[in-house]
Amino acid sequence: MKSLKVNGVERRFDPDEMPGTLSALLDALGVGANAVVAEVDGRIVRRDEFHRTELQDGQQIELIKLMGGG
Amino acid sequence: MGKLTIAGRTFDSRLLVGTGKFSSPQVMAKALAASGAEIVTVALRRVDIDNPADDTLREIDQDRFLLLPNTSGARTAEEAIRLARLARAATGIEWLKLEVTPDPYYLLPCPVETLKAAEILVKEGFVVLPYINADPILAKRLQDVGTATVMPLGSPIGSNQGLKTRASLEIIIEQSTVPVVVDAGLGLPSHVAEAMEIGADAVLVNTAIATAGDPVEMAVAFKLAVEAGRKACVAGPRAPQRTAEASSPLTGFLRE
Repeated sequence: MKSLKVNGVERRFDPDEMPGTLSALLDALGVGANAVVAEVDGRIVRRDEFHRTELQDGQQIELIKLMGGG
Repeated sequence: MGKLTIAGRTFDSRLLVGTGKFSSPQVMAKALAASGAEIVTVALRRVDIDNPADDTLREIDQDRFLLLPNTSGARTAEEAIRLARLARAATGIEWLKLEVTPDPYYLLPCPVETLKAAEILVKEGFVVLPYINADPILAKRLQDVGTATVMPLGSPIGSNQGLKTRASLEIIIEQSTVPVVVDAGLGLPSHVAEAMEIGADAVLVNTAIATAGDPVEMAVAFKLAVEAGRKACVAGPRAPQRTAEASSPLTGFLRE
């Protein structure tokens, strides 16, 4: 099994089913339109870079959105 | 009435509005429009993967409103800087409401961490609008490191207590060379009118509008109060005095 830690939660994947890119991960999780920016192991990834950001087993990923706030 | 200028950008409205706590994105959009605000704050949070349907921000017309991302939730300078960089990467906007609130009960801002973060973020090219306690010395220090405004609180966030810090706000307003935006605790239109009357350049309101029985009507009330307070300030209010001063002539009375 391979795994990614997404927003603090460990997610396990069969080796041949692990999303290859951030875009693929968003599709797999069904949150495509929400994440406006991400962090992969602490490195900031802009939305327009999601499709070419490759993921590796064991990485920590933060998917971040904008929301109402004061 | 004179425009508000922050970091070289001018605004007709002196009311900044937060986008939290509205009952729906549609109510929020109507209230923002009614408020006349041109700057609206937003927060950054983790995507809720189990409940991704959150489209609050889609209702904000970014051609009309300047988004001002905040660093809410940050407890240290380091956390605030991380959020600031994420906000800039997400929006392309360099404007930032810097807030560092280590205490969850009163949500008072930490002066030490706020100053530390402001210094770094200004160097990184951010237009920093720091949320601070009404501390004139801190306001001066922030202005000296290059923040675009100072945003002293009237009372704790969301408390609706009004201008509990008035005496210190007056000192900040007197000394500041950057715009003073009174933020937090402004629960009624009379509170913002008071802030503007004593010379604040602008105010930021969220809870009082978003949680009102009718947020759209309340947004209008705050808009009018900001305008009234500003006009009164510019018009030159008279100082209070201890004794009476007759408004009618003290001559020609119908008596001997």
